[in-house]
Amino acid sequence: MRARSAIPLSALGVVVFLLMWEMLAQSGIVPARLLPSPSAVPGAFLSEFRSGTWQTMVMASLSHYLMGLALGSFLGIAFGTAAALSPWWNAFQAWVVRMLRPIPAIAWIPFAIIWFGVSESAASFLISLTVFWINYYATFSAVRGVDKDLIELAHAFGQGGLVPRLFKVILPGALPGIMSGLRAGLGQGWMTVVAAELFGIPGVGMRMMEASGLLATHIVVLYMVTIALLYGVSDFLFMQVQNRVLSWQR
Amino acid sequence: MAAVIDLRNVSIGYGADAPPVLVGVDLTIERGSFVAIVGPSGVGKSTLLRVVSGLHEARTGDVTIHRDPRPDSRAVGLVFQDPRLLPWRRVARNVRLGLEGLAIAAADRDRRVEQALKLVRLDGDYGRRWPYELSGGQRQRVGIARALAVDPEILLMDEPFGALDAITRHGLQDELLRIHRETGKTVLFVTHDLEEAVHLADRIIVLGGGGAGAGPARIVRDVANQPGRDAIAFRDQVEQLRSGIADNYSI
Ligand SMILES: Nc1ncnc2c1ncn2[C@@H]1O[C@H](COP(=O)(O)OP(=O)(O)O)[C@@H](O)[C@H]1O
Ligand SMILES: [Mg+2]
Repeated sequence: MRARSAIPLSALGVVVFLLMWEMLAQSGIVPARLLPSPSAVPGAFLSEFRSGTWQTMVMASLSHYLMGLALGSFLGIAFGTAAALSPWWNAFQAWVVRMLRPIPAIAWIPFAIIWFGVSESAASFLISLTVFWINYYATFSAVRGVDKDLIELAHAFGQGGLVPRLFKVILPGALPGIMSGLRAGLGQGWMTVVAAELFGIPGVGMRMMEASGLLATHIVVLYMVTIALLYGVSDFLFMQVQNRVLSWQR
Repeated sequence: MAAVIDLRNVSIGYGADAPPVLVGVDLTIERGSFVAIVGPSGVGKSTLLRVVSGLHEARTGDVTIHRDPRPDSRAVGLVFQDPRLLPWRRVARNVRLGLEGLAIAAADRDRRVEQALKLVRLDGDYGRRWPYELSGGQRQRVGIARALAVDPEILLMDEPFGALDAITRHGLQDELLRIHRETGKTVLFVTHDLEEAVHLADRIIVLGGGGAGAGPARIVRDVANQPGRDAIAFRDQVEQLRSGIADNYSI
């Protein structure tokens, strides 16, 4: 199926999904407290927006997210590149990486609180952990996958030193793989935002916990939708950048 | 005439344990000569060029360029068997690669890039294209321009026209002969095409004796040649080389 002709069908899928949800909620089979109807969400948005809560929470989450994303992406790309380029460094860090890798970011919450308190930095730290691993592995294999012939080319044309080789051949050659790592981190980062804020750092996640404590499930759904939209927007913006940066690809 | 490339009892291999690809290579190439290296595929022609260009170290023996064992990479210009362009650079920036890091004014550098592109008939709008927007033959010509832009004294060319159609190939052969005559550059030209070697070179070196399970290869013929001779003499020379290769290959 061609991408263009798939659009109406995909839109229809969303409408049917919302309709069925609305019908289920309206029917009274499930109590309204347990399952809010989608038609309640616009109202929830208006009240949260008028009080300024929505803007405050979104801005707070966005700032945790951007900090964590920038830090985790940068360090992930740097460490991934170093491990892929230096056999010595790769061997040195290999077992440490294998030890730390299986620990999910959420498991670091106790340490995040001990080290940073219930603070912005704690949330950014947790997000950067998630983002770090994704970028580390994506960059490692992207750098390893750079065409050896192009590296030979660099040597043949006087660009064999580490700096010109790195910036003229290795990193540009690895860029498509690095970009897909960045994109995956962009998505996983939002998931960690919510988790990191659940324990009381102001933001979308904290507001969701508050609302669920009051059984205000329509507000919970509002922020779920908010997260989905924020993710959609950041992914869209990233794709715009990516298409431009990788315009040399056929 | 002065020797520009000098190989003394050189053997070449990949990996410490693998048997050598080439052994006993003694080769002196004089300034301004056009030397063709021919031989069946897999015999070690590209390997030999890699050693002359300094990309690969000889296992034993001495390799010198102008008596220098570690020459500047800009003393030689290398044209690979494949175009080997950087896909993320437009054509002109690809041609510029070897000029980067040199103490040349930007305007001067751009002029050399333009000149090199003109030599391979890719001037004008081509400089701004991405490699993927070119045909295979055009890409190969960009690779040639990239080597010419450095203005090296020695041109090492690894089957540069092998993948081109006959018309483009003949055009570029004539262009190369003209560049060779005008600039006096030393050319080391690898080809598996005997006609091409006889058409271009003033000296033809045949590698043979290698191949799968046949042990290492060596230089089996080293003959003078007169490029641009008449048709009958041309065919004789090609036939002679062909039978020479066949003899050595069956050993
Ligand atoms: N990078 C390499 N590593 C190991 N063996 C190689 C490598 N490159 C070439 N060889 C081997 O060296 C021999 C000569 O190869 P090559 O010089 O490419 O031949 P030609 O250019 O004459 O076709 C072949 O047997 C090939 O398998
Ligand atoms: Mg070859």
